[in-house]
Amino acid sequence: MIAWGSFLIVLIASIIGACGVVTLFSLGLRFAGPATTNTGVRHALGITCFVLCGLLVAFGVYLIIPAFHP
Amino acid sequence: MVALVIALALFFDFTNGFHDTANAMATPIATGALSPRVAVGIAAVLNLVGAFISTKVAKTISGGLINHGQHGIEITPTLIFAGLIGAILWNLVTWVLGLPSSSSHALFGGLIGAAIVGMGFNSINLSILMSNVVIPAVLAPITAGLVAFLATRIAYAVTRKRQREGFRYGQIFTSSLVSLAHGTNDAQKTMGVITLTLIAGGIQSEGSSPEFWVILVCAIAIALGTYTGGWRIIKTLGKGITEIEPGQGFAAEAATTAAILASTHLGFALSTTQVASGSVIGTGIGRKGASVRWKTAGRIALGWLITIPAAATVGALAAWATELGLVGIIGDLVVATAIVVGIFVYSRRSAVTSHDLGLEPTQFVRPKKRKKPIQGGARS
Repeated sequence: MIAWGSFLIVLIASIIGACGVVTLFSLGLRFAGPATTNTGVRHALGITCFVLCGLLVAFGVYLIIPAFHP
Repeated sequence: MVALVIALALFFDFTNGFHDTANAMATPIATGALSPRVAVGIAAVLNLVGAFISTKVAKTISGGLINHGQHGIEITPTLIFAGLIGAILWNLVTWVLGLPSSSSHALFGGLIGAAIVGMGFNSINLSILMSNVVIPAVLAPITAGLVAFLATRIAYAVTRKRQREGFRYGQIFTSSLVSLAHGTNDAQKTMGVITLTLIAGGIQSEGSSPEFWVILVCAIAIALGTYTGGWRIIKTLGKGITEIEPGQGFAAEAATTAAILASTHLGFALSTTQVASGSVIGTGIGRKGASVRWKTAGRIALGWLITIPAAATVGALAAWATELGLVGIIGDLVVATAIVVGIFVYSRRSAVTSHDLGLEPTQFVRPKKRKKPIQGGARS
């Protein structure tokens, strides 16, 4: 019947994926976004968050394109 | 007959495209992250690309819903023909009503109706219908809604008010991901339908993968449909359910992408349309001060509920007519064309175009410009 186990895994993975991207992008905006005046470490931290967020999005592209994972 | 089915399948692909533009592009259009024309352009290109990069083809169009083979019904071009008529007509009815409903469900529904006429209720695998269609349809919006709710809370907790315009740039990427994922999935369905028709018609050998021209025409049909833009559904999803700010749009798209990717890779299939609608509702609940129009949400849910029975009814009627032979098939075509033309004529009376979706200049709040002088003043 219903594969509740795999549904739970999908739910947890969705939460981690979506909240991960949103948290990183938000932190990036907070530290290095427009209308911020941070410099130095905090600015670098913000940029790092954007980069990590970009990596997560790249992982999404990797998952979408089947040629990358036969 | 085979040529006729292919033409119908491509028309279905086209309606699938413009029906589902909204899934990816309703939120960036609503927040002004992308202008309507640019948004549908990006979606069309990504759908075209997506159709080519995915090699996995739906081997059974119905995913086991219909018992076929030795102990069940034989899938003939005629059956697919009737099923497609049901799917196309229901897709157009929901489009004119502005309801985001699943194109796959419309296709399943049409085929189920046609199969019931051909073989009776025994031809339908009810337990697969429950576990693969009905229960995921309930779980998909709830899952996406919960994820979008959490993501929205995080986005608004972390950022300060005047930074949230920055989410617009992120929206471009997340909505593009949704489009790409859509292209890799949905064009496959039509390719599967056409390939099965060619096999059933004895033109292509069993078990072979689709011909290149099939991939090409399917990709073009879905991209054209996407570019045409189902503005009615975009309006419902982007503005009808709740007012969407860039932060919410970003959170909703992230939730949609995550849920679709997780479901396709971890084996619990969820409908893209239902996930996207759930995300929008979830993000409406998640932001303080936003309200969800539950009446609209209820209308959408009702649409999902009757998609399969309605498409099945049309599919059944069409299948019943085809049993009369050539006259029936021609009759089907004439009636279906008349209804399609009727729907288009009706839709002109209250046309929704890309111009209705542009933001009013006053809707933009640009705190950045207002705050800067104050900041400078405080420093000096």
